[in-house]
Amino acid sequence: MTPFDPELSDRLPEQRWREWMARIEAVIFASATPVPRDRLVPLVGAEASVDLLIEDLKTAYADRAFELVELGGGWMFRTRPRFADAIRAAADLGERPLPFSEMEMAVLSAIAYHQPIDRAALADLFGKPISPDLISRLRHRDLIANGPRAPRRGAPQTFVTTETFLATFDLQSLRDLPDPAEQ
Amino acid sequence: MNIVASRSPGADHPSLVLPSFVLKPGELSAGALAHRAGGTLAILHGVLAPEQGVPLPLLASRLALRAAVASLRLEGRTRTETDLRDAFHFTRPGDALGPDGDALAFWRAAIGPKASPKTPVLEADVDPSEALTLGQTIAAQSGPLAGCVALIQHYLDIAPRAEREACRLSDILLARLVGWPLPFPVTALYLTKSVLRDAQTSDAGALKLQARLLDSLIDLHRLARDFARRAAAAQAMSRKLRAKTSDPALAVFLREEAVVPVPMLSPRIAGTKTPMTDRAARRFCDRLVSLGVATELTGRSSFRLYGLAP
Repeated sequence: MTPFDPELSDRLPEQRWREWMARIEAVIFASATPVPRDRLVPLVGAEASVDLLIEDLKTAYADRAFELVELGGGWMFRTRPRFADAIRAAADLGERPLPFSEMEMAVLSAIAYHQPIDRAALADLFGKPISPDLISRLRHRDLIANGPRAPRRGAPQTFVTTETFLATFDLQSLRDLPDPAEQ
Repeated sequence: MNIVASRSPGADHPSLVLPSFVLKPGELSAGALAHRAGGTLAILHGVLAPEQGVPLPLLASRLALRAAVASLRLEGRTRTETDLRDAFHFTRPGDALGPDGDALAFWRAAIGPKASPKTPVLEADVDPSEALTLGQTIAAQSGPLAGCVALIQHYLDIAPRAEREACRLSDILLARLVGWPLPFPVTALYLTKSVLRDAQTSDAGALKLQARLLDSLIDLHRLARDFARRAAAAQAMSRKLRAKTSDPALAVFLREEAVVPVPMLSPRIAGTKTPMTDRAARRFCDRLVSLGVATELTGRSSFRLYGLAP
């Protein structure tokens, strides 16, 4: 098996460029989470600009139903917002983490705004206990993660949101959380 | 004829005290600010000299916490020092620090042994060498504060949300310009969103940013003197401790602004191979408190954090 060659010096410049674009496309396609720039750099030649290659990819996708976006610390594909209805109308979304129950959404929002926060504090906010299953589901989807231990008896686990959370809700960072006063 | 050997000035010597022209609020003009900054930096040079006994890592650690609180505020998050200490020190390995712990980790790394301007930061669009060169060029003409402001303006022009990185690089610039052994996290301390915004849009705003940096330098002077006094007091009391583990354990208090007995002292004293049990570590901290060398920072009966006594 030939070793992986980022430089592709045996090819014509145009072919080289297209191959680099294709490699970036493949890696982002294959990845379940946003791909940071430094994971793309080793795929291409030392002189190549990942940013220019991505610009060219974006141009190539101009007429497609999906776009290449930089979210949550890296690059990912995302269907364009105007297709949201079509996607919802389609029958089975499988494992894609799009639908949330109202309670899941509420708990996720509470964690986003109050992080780090533990289950007891969440229960105070909602006036009722939060089901451990709900927390597990959010964690399983990599929307929340275990955060610091609360400095209280029992050192309860707090929760914080993740990079995947940011990507899913189209946020560059927690600074983009909508102002709670406007809710 | 006797040759008088030069001796380092005692702590109360006037050469270590900020002169009143520095402390008096002055005009918001480039010349006045540069003058006051020059005076402050010259005095700081004496204060930070090794013979004055300022525990530099501890000073940097304290500033890192304050800079973390300040940079979170710039990012729209209002948190206390306690929030940040708790988030950082009580996260178990493998768990996420969360945004507060993360901010403190960022600033601790900025003063840590592996710190460098090229340390990967969030904002990949700004070339740190270019920003530093710009800062150095402006500083050569108009003084270090102007250099830092130019660097910050350049950085935020390209990456408007990279306030913490801009501040970190400004600290690095300042340390290089004035010859500090560490990039003390001073830039962020007195900044607000509006000060940064105005600095991007007007000359008067840029001067106001300089004035805030000067406030940080004046504070650095006060803190350095304060820590030197506290470290000397701790070391004098350490003679009463007399256990084999006392010196390396006390050394942790002279490096870290907040000490959590586990894992900083137990199972091993940080930075050494010396073992200590959990119980011995907590007893040691309590002994330091009873001797007046340390204080407990949280007011809690468990999950306690200790720091050098004020």
